[in-house]
This record gives sequence, C-alpha cells and structure tokens, in this order.
Amino acid sequence: MRPSRAAYPMRWRVMDSLERIAGLLWPRSFSAGLPYLMLLPALLLVGVLVWGLVEIGDSSLRTLDTSTFLMSENYTLANYQRALNERFFTTVAGRSLMGSLIVTVITLVFAFPYSYLMVRTPSSALRKFLLVALFLPFFIGQVVRAYGWLIILGNQGMVNEALGLVGVSPIRLLYNYPAVLFGLVQYMLPFAVLMLAPAMTAIPAELESAASSLGANWISTFRHIVLPLSKPGLVGAGLVVFTLSLTDFAIPAILGGGSQDFIANAIYDQFFRTSDQGMGATLSLLLVAVGSILVGLVFMVFGAGTLAMGGDRK
Amino acid sequence: MSNEKFLSAQIKRRTLLQSMAAVGAAAGASTLGLNRAFAQEPEKPAEIIVRAWGGSWVDALKAGVSDSFTKATGIAVRHDLTEDNEIQPKVWAAVAQKRVPPIHINWDTTTNATKSALRGVTEDLSDLPNLKNTTELSKPVGLDGYPIVNTYGYVYVLAFRPEAFPNGAPKSWKDLLDPKLKGRIALYNDGIGFHFPAQVAGGGKLEDIPGNMQPAWDFITKIKAQQPLLGEDPDFTTWFQRGEIDAACTISTNAREAKKNGISIDWVVPEEGAKFDTDGLWIPKGLPENELYWAKQYINHALTKEAQQVWLDGLGLPGVVPGLTPPADLVGDPSYPTTDEDFKHLIRISTKVQVENESQWFAKFKEIMQG
Amino acid sequence: MTGSLSKSIVIWTFVAASLVMLSAPTIVVLGASFTAGNMITFPPEGLSLKWYAAISQASGLRQAFFRSLYVATICTLIAIPVGTLAGIALAKYRVRFGRTIQVYLLLPFTIPLIGSGIGMMLAFGNAGLAGQLWPLGVACAVINLPFMIWAVTASASNLSPDLELAAANCGAPPLQRFLYITLPAVMPGVITGSLLMFILALNEFLVSLLLVDARNVTLPVQIYNSIRSIITPDLAAISVVFIACAAIAIAVLDRLVGLDVFLKSK
Repeated sequence: MRPSRAAYPMRWRVMDSLERIAGLLWPRSFSAGLPYLMLLPALLLVGVLVWGLVEIGDSSLRTLDTSTFLMSENYTLANYQRALNERFFTTVAGRSLMGSLIVTVITLVFAFPYSYLMVRTPSSALRKFLLVALFLPFFIGQVVRAYGWLIILGNQGMVNEALGLVGVSPIRLLYNYPAVLFGLVQYMLPFAVLMLAPAMTAIPAELESAASSLGANWISTFRHIVLPLSKPGLVGAGLVVFTLSLTDFAIPAILGGGSQDFIANAIYDQFFRTSDQGMGATLSLLLVAVGSILVGLVFMVFGAGTLAMGGDRK
Repeated sequence: MSNEKFLSAQIKRRTLLQSMAAVGAAAGASTLGLNRAFAQEPEKPAEIIVRAWGGSWVDALKAGVSDSFTKATGIAVRHDLTEDNEIQPKVWAAVAQKRVPPIHINWDTTTNATKSALRGVTEDLSDLPNLKNTTELSKPVGLDGYPIVNTYGYVYVLAFRPEAFPNGAPKSWKDLLDPKLKGRIALYNDGIGFHFPAQVAGGGKLEDIPGNMQPAWDFITKIKAQQPLLGEDPDFTTWFQRGEIDAACTISTNAREAKKNGISIDWVVPEEGAKFDTDGLWIPKGLPENELYWAKQYINHALTKEAQQVWLDGLGLPGVVPGLTPPADLVGDPSYPTTDEDFKHLIRISTKVQVENESQWFAKFKEIMQG
Repeated sequence: MTGSLSKSIVIWTFVAASLVMLSAPTIVVLGASFTAGNMITFPPEGLSLKWYAAISQASGLRQAFFRSLYVATICTLIAIPVGTLAGIALAKYRVRFGRTIQVYLLLPFTIPLIGSGIGMMLAFGNAGLAGQLWPLGVACAVINLPFMIWAVTASASNLSPDLELAAANCGAPPLQRFLYITLPAVMPGVITGSLLMFILALNEFLVSLLLVDARNVTLPVQIYNSIRSIITPDLAAISVVFIACAAIAIAVLDRLVGLDVFLKSK
C-alpha cells in the first residue's frame, strides 16, 4: 500500500502540522477568546497613540525656564491657565472652529451632488471618470495640491492673468482667510464624497421614482427622501471633514501667508519656534479634548454613521 | 517677460561664484594642510550635514565654504534645509536622549545659538586655529569661550520696489503705513528684525527695551491693519519676484537676490534705524570623535579669508575676517556696514536681552498679527 | 420633464465646480513641470524635459523618494495582518464591549493628527527611537489603521457563516476554514485597504514632519521645505512622481477590485 504517500501531498501535511500547532497554541476551549486575540494587535498598535497622549499629558504640566531653556521638574497647571486666558490662543481656536464649520458646510454642499451623480448615473464610464477624478487628488497629498494652487492663484498666476486680459488689475487671491478655507474645501472634497457615497447607494432608486410618480418635484424628493436617508453618510462625512479641517496644518501654512494660523500651526510654533514644549503639549491636549468631545457628542446623537466598523452598525 | 535677461544674469553669477570657489579651494587646501601637520587626522566621515537656510543662502554657503571644503578634504557636504527653529528642539532632544545629533553643524542666528549654548548642547570651538585672524564680531557676547563662532553681520533693511515709491525712497518705517501699500508689505513671520525699529517708530526709546515695549506693539498694531504678508527668508525673494509685495522688512540678502534675478528693487536704512545682528556656526554635542574633528575643520575653513570672501559675496554681507573686499554693488551701501559712521544708524541690542525676551516678543508679535 | 432638466443643471453645475477644484492643481503641476523656463508659469514657456533631467540628477530628492517608499512599505506590511484580523473579528463575531473597542479603534481618526504626531514624537523620543525611519512606518500604520479596518469590514458582507459551517461539516479544521473561506471573502477589502495604506503613508506629511530628522527626510517633507525656499519647476517635476504613483495605484485598484467597491453600501 505504498501510493498513500503520493495521495497525501506535501501541502496537506504542512497544513495538518500548522493546524496541530494552532490547536496546541489555542485549544478549542479558548475559542470564545478568538475574536479578542484577533483584535489584540490592533489594540496594541493604537496603544501607541495612548502612550503618546500620556507623554503629552506629562509635558503639558511642565513650564519652560527661559534662562536655561529646560522644562521644569515639578508639575504645574500654569500652561492651562495661559492657554485659556491669553487672547492669542482663543483667537486662533475661534478661527479654526469657525473655519472648519464653514468648510464642513461648503464641502457637504459640493460633495452631495457629486456622490449623487456618481451613484445614480446609468453610465459606468461616467461613474469611473468621477471616481478617478476623486481618487487622483486624494492620492496626491495636500502639499502638492496646495503647491498647485499657489501657481494658479498667485498675483501672476493663471486667474490673475486671465483677469488681466479683461482689464482687471491683479487682486490678492492668496494668503488670506478665504484662500485657506477654499484650500481646505478642495482638500476635503474626496473624503466627504467617499463617506457619502455608500450611504447613497443604500437608498433604493425606486423610492425616488415612487415619490416623483406621486407628484413630488425633484427638490422635495431630495428634501424628504434623499437627504434624510443619506444621514449616516452626512454624519460620517461631516465628522471627518470637520475634524480634519480643525486640525489641518499644511493648508493654513502654505495658503495662509503666515497670518491665518489654525490650532495645529499654533501648536507647531510652540514646539518649534518658541521651543516651549509644555505649552505646545497643553494646546495639543486641549485640541484632543475638544475633538473627542465633539466626536463623542455626534456619535451619541446620530450614531457613528458610515464611520462604524462592521458589527452593530446602525 | 525678460526671461533671457534673468537667465543670463543667473548664469553669470553662477560662473563667477564657481571661479571664485576654485580660488577659495586652492587657498583653503593650504590652511587645512597646515592643521594636518599638528593633529593626527582622524577617520573621515562620508559626509557632514550642515543645516542651512534655503534659496540664495545655501547657494552662497555651498559656493564659498562647502565646495572648497569637499575639494580639500574629499568629504561631501550635505545641506539640510530644515528651518532653524525646527532643528533646535530636535537637536536638544537628541542631546538629552544621548543620541547622535541629526546634523554636524548648525548655521544659526546668534540669539538662537546662544539659547542652545545656555542649554549646554554646544561644543566649545575655542581651539579653532583661524579664530586668531578674526575681528571681535566673531566672539559671542556673554558666553564663556566660543560655543558659537559668529561668521558675519547683517541688517534688516527696508527693501522696496522703486516703482511703488514714485516720490523717492521711503525715509521712515512709518512710510509703510501708506494706505496704498495695504496688502503689499511683508515682514518675518515672528517679526524678527522689526521689533526694535518699531519701538522707535512708535515713539519709544531703545533704552526701554525690554521693560517697556508698548510703543513697538502700538506701531505693529498699526502695521497689522496694513495686512502684511508674513514669511521666511526665501519668501521675500519669491514675493518680490512674483510682484506680490512692494516693500518688506527683511535681510538685504533676500532683496539683493531678487535684484540679481532682474527685479527692480532697492533698500534703505530708515531714519529710525535698522536692526543689526549676527549669524554663526556651531556644533551640537554627541557627535563621534572623528566627525566632531571634521565638523570643526569645516567651521575653521569657513573662517578663512578665501571662504569668507566667496560666501559673503554671495550673501552681500560683511564678514568677520579683516581685509575682505565688499561686492562691487554694495560699496558704501547701508546694508554693508564697515565704518563706525555706518553703525551709528544701526540698532544693536545685547544678546542677553534678546535671548531672555525674544520668545515673548515673537509670541506678542504673533498675537497681534493673528488677532 | 422640466423638473428633471433643472435637476440636471443644478447637479451638473456643482459637479463641474467640484471637478475643477479637484483637477486644476494636478493639471497645472503637470503642465508646469514641462516648462522650458526657469520660473513656474502656466501655461509653460516652451516645452522641455529639463526639469525631469534635473530631478533625476538630484540625489537628495531620489533618496527622499526611496525613504518614502520604505516608510509606505513598512506601514502596509504592518497594517495588512493587523487590520485584516481586526476587521474580520469585528465583522464576524459579536464581541463584548464591541462599541468601546470600536471607539478605541477609531482613536487614530478622532485624535487630531497633530496631537497623534506630537505624542508619538515625544514617546518615540523618550524610547530612544527617534532619528530612525521605521518608527515613522509604524506611526503611519497607527494613524491610518481605521482605513484598513473599514475596507476589510466593508467587504465582510461577502462573509457567509453558512459557507464556513459547511466547510466545518466537511471536516475542515479552523485554520483551513480561515485561509480558504474567510480570507478569500475579504480579499477585495484587504487589497483596497493595503493600497490606501500604502498611498497614504507615501503622502503622509505632518507626522513625517514631526518624526523625521534632517538625516532622513521623506519626500513630502522635502517638497514642503523646498516650497518654503525658492519655488523652481523641479518641484513640479517631483510632484509629478506623486501623481504617477497615484495613477498607478488607481489603475491597480481598478484592475484588482474595481473602483466601484467604494460605492458599496455597508
């Protein structure tokens, strides 16, 4: 009975021994723990962030001694007092919050029709085109894109050259608040569309036809059917856009001309211009707190929307 | 546009710099050779990393110091363009954590370098042979020995486009308040160079620094209403070249660079005066012994007359070695002070006062500008 | 009918504006990179490849690009197993404390990037890991991990418990069931996720800026440093490298999974 050797190929034997090892390392009786074992690496990896937060917390309680430029040994809450009382920090925080709110609204207004057309169009070529147009900038990164806008919007850029042809003297399009907001909107657009699209796919097209056959015009169909049903997408997209704009660094730095700082720029300056690690850490921690509270509130009120990761999403 | 003119100007400058670098290299080799006789030469690293400012600044350093250093020693020089303020905490962290620092040599403002010296992260450079040939400007004030070597001085001038000033050059920093310059002026993003003349322009006295700088802040608040652009060295050159600004408080080097590229531009020291300061080179602690040796050789080389001549011709700034020939376009220029008479119009504030207060001034300036 | 026409007009107006916003910088950078002049202008002054020749000579840029590739590779290699396992666990099993775990795993998204970056800068610094490149790969994996998990859970709808039970009935042991049934089912998600991770790490700017050292800058940081210096067309040329990478990634994604995967309702 020799042929059994050939009938039982190498691969099977390898698999068998692997199974045995797996069984040994993780007996059946543990099987309830399996999902946790699978989650463990991810939990550990994200633990790096928690570790970082602890370090930030530690630094935030130390102040800078300007005679030696070392951080103090003992803990104090002085940085928090400064952060909450100094007008500069509140101005920058106000500008960032207001800016991200505006950016979120505008981005959603643009992302909504874009995802709608992308989901509903019968032409698969158009859908692919819209997807590629979305992914290309998404994959290029914001530094390169901001650089493109510097070329387009500069005083001798394309837009001003075009205006010059019709006799309009150059106007400053860069280095101001609107320029930063515009930069953020174009940066956030792909994120918003990608978060919205799945929610829109979930809306049956028949619902819309039903509404219009009952006499609703497209505006009221949108208002009463599409808009409410894409809520999970709007929540996910809104959250992502809001938090990413609130904490963006590159766009205000490149398109803001130095006077339109957002919180991230102020934090960066504390670390790298003033060398005041304690103050920078304090601002970071406050930003983390504001961000988390906002996200938490939205989660509690609306659920996680399209941000949910499998499991019990609703 | 006059692209051709711009091109040829650039080429001329490049070839000029190159030929001068060759001269510098030959001379530099001999001075380095001298040192070789005394010290046993430690192993050469493949490269040394020098942090530098971008644009014309790094071009000048490369032409004047780095290329001739490489020629003489065979050690490549890499220029790192991380901003001076950003490299500082990274170097500090590296020293604190006993790691090898990210750079070999930091080209730094004297004020920032003094902060690092106070923190104890700098190597002492007192034993550099070429120090004996330098003027007193090279010695950092208020520190023991030479934790830094100053390599040249510079002036934060009022640079302007003559077309924007049809009635002649501006005479005062107050001329920046002209309504037609709204959105057309630029300052450094931390206000460096502008705090002191602003103190005078705002009706205050220099002796009141740092105790009472309210006049400066009042004047800067007025300037804020003019919506200035805020940037770093190369930004000024770019902005002048692209027609974004008409006037700026900047180091003359940045304005001169735009001028070399064919832009009509001029500069003055206004009646209130202009800030004079120095930059220097220093070495962070924690380098391996042999790399430290060669980093010191680099700084020593930067103090030779030949290296200084080419480097500072590129920058258009007065050096720390006697007998340098000023660039032809800068003879008698207020941005190239050589005589006591020249220095009378310039504002010099002690390094100690600046080190202790500069971060607060930066913060205050930011607060006004971001408001 | 008029309603439908006005609807098309409104929608197309917004979409056209979006398309301009999305594509203008890319097109301009592409165009500017072929200029024969010495300054960035659009339209370019004459066509030439001289700036591509210039960047192929610039060893600094090339090294920075390879460093970015290295970081992106490490990030992807970490994210694939970690994200896939976590995604399957979340999609397949009812986990106790599932909600808490989800909120925790969303931390990379809810903690602002600058906060994560600063925290890791301090943490890695104190651990003596600063100044090396691989921690940046880990950092990129951390901050982008939700993308990987989302991609995997999104494709977990293909997971059919019946199929696994059938396999178990036929005597397939657990590891085989995982390798031959579960894993193939989520493969599209794994591919999508890993491409996302790779590209995002390749482009990662802010965390790179905080974690790299002068000795090992990555390409986005190098470009940022150069933007702050004099802007010359070689920057446009090097940016085109990014555009090319993005285009390749999209083509691969479309080939292997189909871009429509992003439109799937979850």
